[in-house]
Amino acid sequence: MDFEFAPQEQAVLKEVRAFLKSEITPELKAESLAIGYCYGGELGRKFVHKFAANRWLVPNWPEKYGGMGASAMLTFAIKEELAYTMPLIFVAAHMAGPTILHFGSEEIKKEWLLPIARGEVEFALGYTEPWAGSDLSALKIDAVGQGDHFLLNGQKTFNTHTHVADYHWLATITDPDAKRYQNMSMMIVDLKTPGITIRPMITMAGWQTNEVFYDNVKVPKECLVGDLNQGFYYLMAALDYERMFPLGHYRRLFDEIVQYTRDTQVNGQPLSRDPLIRQKMAQLSIELEANKLIFFRLAHIIDKGKIPNYETSMQKLFATELAQKIANTGMDVLGLYAQLKKGSQHAALQGQIEHHYRWSVVETIYAGTSEIQRNIMALRGLKLPSK
Amino acid sequence: MDYEFSKTQKILKDEAHRFLAKECPSDVVREMAEDEIGYSRDMWQKMAELDWMGIMVPEQYDGMGGSFLDMTALLSEMGYHCMQGPYFATVVMGGLCILEAANDTQKADILPPVCRGERLLSVAWVESDGTYNPEGISMTAELQGDEYLLNGTKLFVPYAHVADRLVCATRTGQRTDDNHSGITLFVVNTRQPGISIEPLITMAGDKQSAVNFKNVRVSKDNLLGQLDQGWGVLKKVLLMAAVAKCAEMIGGAQKAMDMAVPYAKGREQFGRPVGAFQAVQHHCANMLTYSDTLKFMAYQAAWRISERLPFEKEASMCKAWGSDAYRRLVALAHQVVGGMGFMEEYDLQLYFKHAKAAEQVLGDADFHRELVAQEMQM
Repeated sequence: MDFEFAPQEQAVLKEVRAFLKSEITPELKAESLAIGYCYGGELGRKFVHKFAANRWLVPNWPEKYGGMGASAMLTFAIKEELAYTMPLIFVAAHMAGPTILHFGSEEIKKEWLLPIARGEVEFALGYTEPWAGSDLSALKIDAVGQGDHFLLNGQKTFNTHTHVADYHWLATITDPDAKRYQNMSMMIVDLKTPGITIRPMITMAGWQTNEVFYDNVKVPKECLVGDLNQGFYYLMAALDYERMFPLGHYRRLFDEIVQYTRDTQVNGQPLSRDPLIRQKMAQLSIELEANKLIFFRLAHIIDKGKIPNYETSMQKLFATELAQKIANTGMDVLGLYAQLKKGSQHAALQGQIEHHYRWSVVETIYAGTSEIQRNIMALRGLKLPSK
Repeated sequence: MDYEFSKTQKILKDEAHRFLAKECPSDVVREMAEDEIGYSRDMWQKMAELDWMGIMVPEQYDGMGGSFLDMTALLSEMGYHCMQGPYFATVVMGGLCILEAANDTQKADILPPVCRGERLLSVAWVESDGTYNPEGISMTAELQGDEYLLNGTKLFVPYAHVADRLVCATRTGQRTDDNHSGITLFVVNTRQPGISIEPLITMAGDKQSAVNFKNVRVSKDNLLGQLDQGWGVLKKVLLMAAVAKCAEMIGGAQKAMDMAVPYAKGREQFGRPVGAFQAVQHHCANMLTYSDTLKFMAYQAAWRISERLPFEKEASMCKAWGSDAYRRLVALAHQVVGGMGFMEEYDLQLYFKHAKAAEQVLGDADFHRELVAQEMQM
């Protein structure tokens, strides 16, 4: 056993930290926050081009596809480091890309992986439909093969990223008569294609997600990923990558709450001396440690050449429930001050707590609700019967 | 990072699993809980022949020279089989005190017979306030010529009734503000006049005693470590032993799952296995999370101890987490197994009791969370 990063991993992480410190500006952070931490904003792209030039976006990809052939461990550690400093969510590099690397033909790898590794293109997830949330096998969007293209008609919802990304990582139904799981195909669709309409949906945390309408959209057949009608399995693989959840963002919030308890005097002593506060803060730090261990376990499994199974769902579940505990404990600790929004008089911690409190609701919903993760752990991990 | 045991650790664990499956089935566990002595001499000797007594003892004292992590592999199997007895008191608590604080002469005197299975140790630490805090230590040790005179009462001393030597925490100096100095450790022969041992009757059936010391004479040579500086040793042993206790919990948690999950697959209600109901599936999923997190928290802390890295924070984190996780896991197993689970004849009840006992010993979750808060400079 060994629970530290290898010396060469530590050396790269040190460089990454220095880079993030010098390159991340308040303007960049503001942009990232304004677009819900999606990659695709103007400043974000500039920053990521430079970041990715060091091959840090996908270090564990082979060199010929723009990685450095490094460990998944290093890749996870860099993701966590970035999330701590400034969260940015990459659909192309961290969800679709690894799936293409695993299932794609040589042509499609050549076409997409290098630009993705350089941060030049970003995708948006295109899974959910009004009638298909937790049950993604219930998709309806129609993709009919016609000569050299597919003709797409249908509707997506909760497709975050689509307003800032370049391409849609789109799950479609290509064989409506086939059985469940055998009827779906995955495509990469240019979001500027005529016939696509994107309409904003605003969340309670202020960020934008979208509904997307496909009205007789012609998509060239080269846009198909892997084999026709095997898309459900690619979608599941990409979902697994999405679920590997770096918690750095909430870890930083936690650190700021701890500092707040040291700096804030109540009844003539710092809040941090209050035994109840100490218990709560210690508990969160313990759970952060547990999350760290099950997060990097995923990298350990990948580095052993295996595919994580129930372990991914466990980490996603644990991390996102912890994210909500951190936000809620922050509300408790700051008390009446916690409700004050950024810009208000007397706002504490720049109004971050109420914002995260609102934000954290999504965490246990997207990429499979906590209940779905528990189902997966029970069925895949413990082989409990489904009926 | 590497989350796996080495080959030799895996072999050690497998051997321990086979040995204990044969020597320590649950009817033996029940028998030992009722037995006055609480362990089998015969099995003890077999364990000594497997080098388990000296697993962490350097070879120069007839030990196996293994690491703390090696020992956790063994302890998790003992937890799996719910093995009670003086192993934890002798090898973990007593052994660690000796390894940490004894001089060469004392080690050469005490450790080889321990490794041979001929000598049992324990630690007399907690007193009437029932905590592991330094302020709770009031038993006096007064210097008279070349001897110390020990007076006081120790409680919750594990397997004192069969121990040959007790490591005793006494107060020799003035109390300071933090109570940290003025504590001295002695190794005391339990046959010394003035010692009386009264058994306590415990929920989990493990043996504990109240030990009274009345004018017990102890030679200066039996002072362990530095005069007045015993708290440093105790604190370190507390944290290491807490990690060792979590290793035991890993096995117990695994066993509880190994009972509940197959039960959920086999037991049918409403025309289908109860494990096909999501309410039950989610209980099982939560058990899996408790089990995996407990495991890695404990292994990380044990690895740090083995590597001589700072481990204080990780140790307290793991005991705080493990104490809650193991209890909650067993509670979920009870929900899954239903009526059978609370029957005396069904083994889950052994783990229910073990979980609570393991939680309370060596500092519970609240106690260790406070230590974590201190480590966080709060």
